[in-house]
Amino acid sequence: MEKAVSSRRAFLQASSVGLACAVAAPTAWLSPAQAYAKRLPYTQLTDTEVETLEQLADAIVPGARKAGIAHYIDSQLAAPLDDCLLMIKYLGVPAPYKEFYQAALQSAHQLPLSEYQKPWHELSDSQLDTLTAQLASGAIDGWQGPPPGFFFFVLRADASDVVYGTQNGHETIGFPHMAHIKPVQEW
Amino acid sequence: MLRSARKVDVVVVGSGAAGSVVAAINAEAGREVLILEAGPKRTLTDLVSSQIHARKLKWSGAFVEEQGDLKIGHNFNSGYGTGGSALHHFAVWPRLHENDFTVHSEYGKGLDWPISYQTLRPYYDRIQDDVGVSGDALAEKWRPQGKAYPLPPLPVFAQGKVIAKGFERLGMHTAPIPMGIKSQAYKGRSACLYDGWCDAGCPIGALANPLVTYLPRAMKAGAYIQHNATVASVLHNSKGDKAIGVAYHDANGDLQTVYAKHVVLSAFAVQNARILLNSASDKHPAGLANHNDMLGRYLMTHPAQTVFGLMEQETQPHLGPTGGQLICHDYYQNKQQADDAFGSYQWLIASAAKPNDLLGIVNSRPDIYGKALDPFMRKAAKHFALMNLVGEDVARADNRVSLSAQKDSHGLPLAATTHNLLPETWSMLKRGVEQGKAVFKAAGAEEIWAGNPFGMHIMGGTVMGADSKQSVTDEFGRTHSLENLYVAGPGVFPSSGAVNPTFTIHALALRTAEQMLRDG
Repeated sequence: MEKAVSSRRAFLQASSVGLACAVAAPTAWLSPAQAYAKRLPYTQLTDTEVETLEQLADAIVPGARKAGIAHYIDSQLAAPLDDCLLMIKYLGVPAPYKEFYQAALQSAHQLPLSEYQKPWHELSDSQLDTLTAQLASGAIDGWQGPPPGFFFFVLRADASDVVYGTQNGHETIGFPHMAHIKPVQEW
Repeated sequence: MLRSARKVDVVVVGSGAAGSVVAAINAEAGREVLILEAGPKRTLTDLVSSQIHARKLKWSGAFVEEQGDLKIGHNFNSGYGTGGSALHHFAVWPRLHENDFTVHSEYGKGLDWPISYQTLRPYYDRIQDDVGVSGDALAEKWRPQGKAYPLPPLPVFAQGKVIAKGFERLGMHTAPIPMGIKSQAYKGRSACLYDGWCDAGCPIGALANPLVTYLPRAMKAGAYIQHNATVASVLHNSKGDKAIGVAYHDANGDLQTVYAKHVVLSAFAVQNARILLNSASDKHPAGLANHNDMLGRYLMTHPAQTVFGLMEQETQPHLGPTGGQLICHDYYQNKQQADDAFGSYQWLIASAAKPNDLLGIVNSRPDIYGKALDPFMRKAAKHFALMNLVGEDVARADNRVSLSAQKDSHGLPLAATTHNLLPETWSMLKRGVEQGKAVFKAAGAEEIWAGNPFGMHIMGGTVMGADSKQSVTDEFGRTHSLENLYVAGPGVFPSSGAVNPTFTIHALALRTAEQMLRDG
């Protein structure tokens, strides 16, 4: 049975790759990691928000920055609701989701400034760990916007999407991807 | 081809499990059928193998407000686009048990159905032959009477075998899950590849989603589907005793009207109730089919919880269907397992996992992050195991869909939902999860943990009943107030049972559709 299943799977994948090439525009289907590598501009998030987002996401899910977490969220916030791929879509938060991320990132930006009087990228490893743990616990005084523990959960899930949810991410941890139809983007 | 865009025999609202069956049966009887689908058009080639892309299949329509101690998880449980929620469903197709139909008369809880299992049984039998269900009827020693499955069971992979040992050691029984997934080619559709992409929608035709089951039949018989058509209200005649059509917003947001001899609401539990509430008129000031204040009430979701583990053995968690490989109903028949606990439950064992997404490996342990995350993911990729407890909800009048003060982009009130569990249901869940952990311990798990409770599936809100004062529809889904207005789908369930609802939705929809033909 396994041999027959493998050959049918290979046939389907070959068929779907052809489809992907046929519809893909030269730059429209860059993966978040490719967009990050090319330093493509952001359309929804400010530089400060991107900086905070990348620092935090990389602390929660190492590798998230290079995997393009900021480009992933930025591109999805720009998409119509029907096409939005963010997990927050089914977590009971009303759209538009930009308000959710911006409010949380504003508070996240202030967090190291008020605790250590320096921005995220200047924190020591132990300071970074301390603040990340605070965020995970949801216990942060003066936090504005969505509950910090919930924001942590959402951002961790987003970061996991770009780090582990791609074909490459599956393979990196030894998890067979086995697509029926391969996504045009690298996820 | 549709002969007229403005007047048809049957207008069906929603293209999911129920709507597709109703549309096919009516179209095949020679009726002109128009299906209005709120979401976009989807085809098999849209079903990309990605848990990220899979989110496109989930609800993207008007926001649904949620309250209560166990929210219904509307956007996760609901679909959007051709095939509705059934496009992303996992095709776990057990039947309700006999005592699910008599929960009030036997236990004094919730509501009875106006029909018995025996009434529905032939419809289950016919649907499973039509669609092709795989399973082992004899191995399901708890299974109510019915024809054997047309296809042999799906294979059990390493994860299922490892967990089954735990059940065995505790003297419990497992059987292959009855699945609406082909174990062999059947009626021109191919067999499963066991790659675990069911949640992203099955593009190969192995899983019984409406794109490969009843929608092609409906289209072949001349039914027409209009996408991006969001129904605002049901229209009625001047006396208020018959539906005459629906008003809907088209892709441009313009309000359109289609007239029909029969109107079928199959837009899932919450939106069906919302449409009827938003259809209030001078004849029906509280909304259509709401003369008794029953509309929207008895909203249900299956209380569910997942037990996870890391096994000593390799489990190949990437293999098999997303719904699982094995099932256990040992604690189903007796709904009163303890004085303080009420409700049947089932175990769905050894679901195929993915690394990411809400049900993925990574979110099973939200407490792990930073440097500890990658080693966990690498180990879990080889040794992860899980099983889901699906529990019975009790229909309660105060769990309901009502209208919000907030409005959607068309100016229509949103749905507001409230759902709380009874203490005895919480107790059932807690006891079940402890049992699940014991099973994993017996199976030799090195680490065991449980996720948070969540709502799986949505039912009720337009319940059927024998008494028109206590229900919204009769046993065929005909509303008590308007004789040619039907409701199809899980919204008509008076009790939830503890099994996945899609098989029952199909069986009931077939019965509704055939009654529509008799109704003329």
